[in-house]
Amino acid sequence: MLGTVGKLLISASFVTSLAAMIFFFISANRDQEKTFRIGNWLFALKTIFIVAASGILIYLIFQHQFQYYYVFNYTSLDLTPRYLFSAFYGGQEGSFMLWIMFSAFFGFGLMKWTREPYKAPVLFFLTLTQVFLLSMLLGWDIFGLKLGASPFRTIAEEMPNAPFLQANPDFVPNDGSGLNDLLKSPWMMIHPPVLFIGFAMMTIPYCFAMAALWKQKYNEWIGPALPWTLSANVALLTAIFLGGYWAYVTLSFGGFWAWDPVENASLVPWLIGTAGIHTMIIQRKSSVAQKSSILFAILAYIAIVYETFLTRSGILGSSSVHSFVDLGLYNQLLAFMLVVTIVGLGLFFWRYKELPSPDKESKVLSREFMTVTGAMLLLILGLVIILGTSSPILGRLFVENPTPPEISFYNDWSMPIAMIMAIFTVVGQYLFWKRYDDAESLASELVNPLLVTSTFTILAIIFGDVRNIYYMVYLFCGFFAIVGNTWILIRLVKRQPKLIGGSLTHVGFGLLLVGILASSAYNRPLVDQKTAQYNEAVRQGEVTDEQGFKVTQTEEMLMLDLDQPVLVDGRYMVTYEGYELDNKVRRGQQTYKIKFEPIDGGKPFYMHPEVYPMLTTSSAENIQWSVDPDVRTRLLSDIYLYVGGSSYVQEQNDRVQENRSMMQNVAAQDTTEEDLVQKFEFTPGQSIDIGKYTIRFVNYMKTDSTELPPNTQIGVRAEIELIHPASDRIVTLNPLFAVYSENGQSYIYSPPSFAQEFGLEFQFTEIKPQQNSIEITVTGLEEEYEPEWVLIVADEKPLISVVWSGTFLLMIGFSISIFRHWGRERKKNIE
Amino acid sequence: MKPKLIIGIVAIVGFTSLLMYNFGESISTYTTFENAGERSNAHIPGVWDKEKGAEFSLETKRFTFHMIDEAGVSRKVVYPKPKPNNFEEADQLVVIGEMRGDIFYADQMLMKCPSKYNDADPGQFTDAATS
Repeated sequence: MLGTVGKLLISASFVTSLAAMIFFFISANRDQEKTFRIGNWLFALKTIFIVAASGILIYLIFQHQFQYYYVFNYTSLDLTPRYLFSAFYGGQEGSFMLWIMFSAFFGFGLMKWTREPYKAPVLFFLTLTQVFLLSMLLGWDIFGLKLGASPFRTIAEEMPNAPFLQANPDFVPNDGSGLNDLLKSPWMMIHPPVLFIGFAMMTIPYCFAMAALWKQKYNEWIGPALPWTLSANVALLTAIFLGGYWAYVTLSFGGFWAWDPVENASLVPWLIGTAGIHTMIIQRKSSVAQKSSILFAILAYIAIVYETFLTRSGILGSSSVHSFVDLGLYNQLLAFMLVVTIVGLGLFFWRYKELPSPDKESKVLSREFMTVTGAMLLLILGLVIILGTSSPILGRLFVENPTPPEISFYNDWSMPIAMIMAIFTVVGQYLFWKRYDDAESLASELVNPLLVTSTFTILAIIFGDVRNIYYMVYLFCGFFAIVGNTWILIRLVKRQPKLIGGSLTHVGFGLLLVGILASSAYNRPLVDQKTAQYNEAVRQGEVTDEQGFKVTQTEEMLMLDLDQPVLVDGRYMVTYEGYELDNKVRRGQQTYKIKFEPIDGGKPFYMHPEVYPMLTTSSAENIQWSVDPDVRTRLLSDIYLYVGGSSYVQEQNDRVQENRSMMQNVAAQDTTEEDLVQKFEFTPGQSIDIGKYTIRFVNYMKTDSTELPPNTQIGVRAEIELIHPASDRIVTLNPLFAVYSENGQSYIYSPPSFAQEFGLEFQFTEIKPQQNSIEITVTGLEEEYEPEWVLIVADEKPLISVVWSGTFLLMIGFSISIFRHWGRERKKNIE
Repeated sequence: MKPKLIIGIVAIVGFTSLLMYNFGESISTYTTFENAGERSNAHIPGVWDKEKGAEFSLETKRFTFHMIDEAGVSRKVVYPKPKPNNFEEADQLVVIGEMRGDIFYADQMLMKCPSKYNDADPGQFTDAATS
């Protein structure tokens, strides 16, 4: 019932949108105020419809109406209200709704603040994009032609052929399939809204650029478009940061960036939008770059639509970790992209001859040349990333069935481009704030920053043990961007503190470059000495396997036995101190306790990685474990650690496996009982729990030489306590270990000691001086001892904090610029 | 023509061809065990050979199993990480790595998992490392 209302509201929203678009078009074409006002009313109506439809969807989610596929697929009964709410935009349909709503809200801002003659055409283009987005949600079926996928479709509509529905058409599941555990994170709650604010805002410069082309007014539009573009940029950057941070602390790939198509989908529009900001700023100053400002504004939005097409049409299929489910929107998304591109670039080239060109070409050493080149570099970087992301399409030029490019493709191209950019930021900023007539005067100003940069670079090379020449040059460029721009920043703070936005962002960019290199290229796996030596040998190509092939895979895992400290990376004593089961946060979650003691005397600390069963996909026959890494953040480096396996997890898996095989083979016989002979290793003071008993190795004891055989070289006794908590009895045993020689040969003498009341037999069978441990063999225990262990993967990542601070500086810098440019716009509006 | 324009065109053409060449080099095609040859970054789709089992060895810290590729050939695959979370229920795997003799050494593994109820849904790929 409510679903039908929801469907109708979306259809109504689509139709009113279409009508509003027509009125805005007429108004823009004839410069009519009256039709514009009708358009506004229709636009408002459309907004009410889509908001109401979203309200209904949220209501259905909160009411657990699982007959609706969307509710069934993305929620379940156990979700807390905040995750129920975020499930609203957790799927593809809901995220379209959110996008449209933000776009509509900004539409009201545009109605209020935009000046003639751009007003009507800007709203026309904005509504045009909303018409396309709304069409994705229609769920209309026109003579077999399906238009959109409605968020209000029922399970029966979604899966007409499912057997359980054919048997019972009114079937309503008791519970939904739930939200993916990985997405149950506060970061993931705010990430999508911020991202869609960015997407919606990035539409606005496109609309302004199109309006400028339509109305042939090529200069004034950048005034209002600039603060919108800056805001879109801050929103996208924040979304990228949130996504990266989430990936870092939640996923176990151990980084914040993986060049995944979905990540690229927000990075590329950001890069092109930033290019647009550069040309708009320079255009405002000196009436150049009109063409490129318009072009970048158009391309930034095309990039958004193109990346939306890639991630949502199903075309990426196997190449992305988290591309959306294919909803059969391929054709509609393709049409959307083609219309935006053809109308945008078509109008641009149609007007191209008319577009103002600068009278004379700018000198190389001018702020115009530097800024435009910087913008071009940003565009080129964006295009390279688009090329890589498009591999399922463009890769067909080279091979059938193309795979995504290797990560090195992205790194190899983005690094040199970023290095050139870094140099340009400094030179460009110097020229931006002051004229230099010749290279010499500029060079003399740059001497001091260059000296400081060189000092920093050399220090970094020495302390960071940088051996790679390419990295050295890269570091130099990064430090140059930091130092040079800080120099300008300090000057500006003294004179005009309101104008520091640009220099702040450039300092942030430099920090990002340095931080990215440090955290990725100098990532250190934390392993024990033996593994480190093995890995070194693997890198030298000295290790071969049984078949005689060279081993290329290094080992990055570390096995820790309970309470057995291991020296890791020559710096930390790492001890596994057990786990705790906790059902509060997630059912069946284990929190492991890993102690780190710096051997140079620093303060010890604990890390608490978690493992939990994924409830959405686990069943009684098969538990799927998911890991939650722990990250310890410090100024200079982070320690990142997750659990790759543990005795508990293995036990649970074995238990499930046993259940399964027992069902299959009921007649299976128990293994015949036999006295178990088990060996235990103890360090002094250590105790081991086994079945009903606790066995403790207190320490060594003095031996009475009379009991020893003749010619004894070594004779030691161990003091062993056998504790039986149930009867509160403690039996102390003193088994002997001796080595004696007879006829020139050495023999071991270890007579058994008996704990008669329990029927156990103890033998002291070995001494391991290197480990400071002994081996005790026990015969007669019923239970098999299973040592408790955990397998961890730990990395030390230097200077991640610098990556984040670079990102924050970029955000702050852009925000300062928003206030500056928006303040100027407001004044104009008041006039 | 102006010399600047010529330089510009040459630069653009040079850059684009270098970029496209490098792009073409860095992508490969989905293949089979037999055709993987010497490639160090072969992408091979296939299914887990359930009869031959799968195990993670604590000694070598490697996960080994057999996979049947699209040509129906079954080969041993060695993966230097713990068993991925959703390995058993994946209805397709993509292993990325190189063939050495009869053993495939995978550096990466992708799993395509069926969704719970929907038999028509092709499902999604998830990266072993992230799921």
